[in-house]
Amino acid sequence: MRVIRDGYHPAAYNMALDEAILRLNEGAVFRTYSWEPSAVSIGYFQSIEEEVDLNAAERMGVDVVRRITGGGAVFHDRDGEVTYSIVLPPGHPAGKRSAAESYEVLCGGIVKALDILGLKAEFAGINDVVVNGKKISGSAQTRKKWGILQHGTLLYDLRPEVMFSLLRVPNEKIRDKMISNIYERVTSMRHLGLDVSRKDVEDALVNGFSDVLGEEVEDSEPAEEELALAERLMRERYGNREWNFRR
Amino acid sequence: MGTGNGTSEGRADYKVPRGKLIRVRVVHNNGIIESVRFNGDFFMHPEEAMEELEDMLAGKDIEEACTIIDDFLRNVEVAGGSAEDFKKALKMAMNG
Repeated sequence: MRVIRDGYHPAAYNMALDEAILRLNEGAVFRTYSWEPSAVSIGYFQSIEEEVDLNAAERMGVDVVRRITGGGAVFHDRDGEVTYSIVLPPGHPAGKRSAAESYEVLCGGIVKALDILGLKAEFAGINDVVVNGKKISGSAQTRKKWGILQHGTLLYDLRPEVMFSLLRVPNEKIRDKMISNIYERVTSMRHLGLDVSRKDVEDALVNGFSDVLGEEVEDSEPAEEELALAERLMRERYGNREWNFRR
Repeated sequence: MGTGNGTSEGRADYKVPRGKLIRVRVVHNNGIIESVRFNGDFFMHPEEAMEELEDMLAGKDIEEACTIIDDFLRNVEVAGGSAEDFKKALKMAMNG
């Protein structure tokens, strides 16, 4: 398994490189990354205007991007999460099953990572990993002829007031309620009292996925062809209004 | 909401119990769908199937649309909602 520890990047690059790796893969590739500036990603089927307060995003300097994967809108706080992506080639044992089954297998890598960090977590379906019944990680997957891409987040901090000023909510009263109630549904490593560095979280994710996939770790960088394709995908899709506003 | 010439826009936001949100935006004329969008935070594999389904529903009435949704979703993996949920959301939007 190639492992790319990719650091902090803009939203369009993050999504473009995930897709480029998927299209060009010759074997399993695991990547960790964060978002700079902070960003909102929306699911493939969502309407950007229905989900995101675009004025607030512009005011706050937050990127907005449509993913290639389904699921919901996510606030990717620069310092609040580590994001991962895993690409599996066609025919990989962990990818052969239905999406529902491979979510469970791949989310096992996150459960294992949290175990390494000292937290007892479990897969809670469809694509969530929870600690004490509260969500700490969400993922989304797409299945193409080139293989499977799953990407997702692992939260180490949470700023609900920022999140809900960017994501559209029905009204102000509900916004306040969503902010005050969020800790009933969502948690983060910081809220669980875990004092770990970003590198600790990356290491745990790499080892967790290596373990559940039975793949040896081979440290790597994005290849030139991957970066070139990512550049093209940024122009044609993730940095392009037509893609981001298509629904 | 009428927009003249018998064309109406309907919308419905349907939260699937223990599932995801389906947001339907439909333009119809005397019960015939002109265009429809199913937005939301559900999953569909392959994703492009949704646009194919939306195109297939244009020109159909609600009964025909429901049959198409049933047939189509038999061969597509959806998480967070079922054919029943998409049909229910569409009916809500057509009536609303």
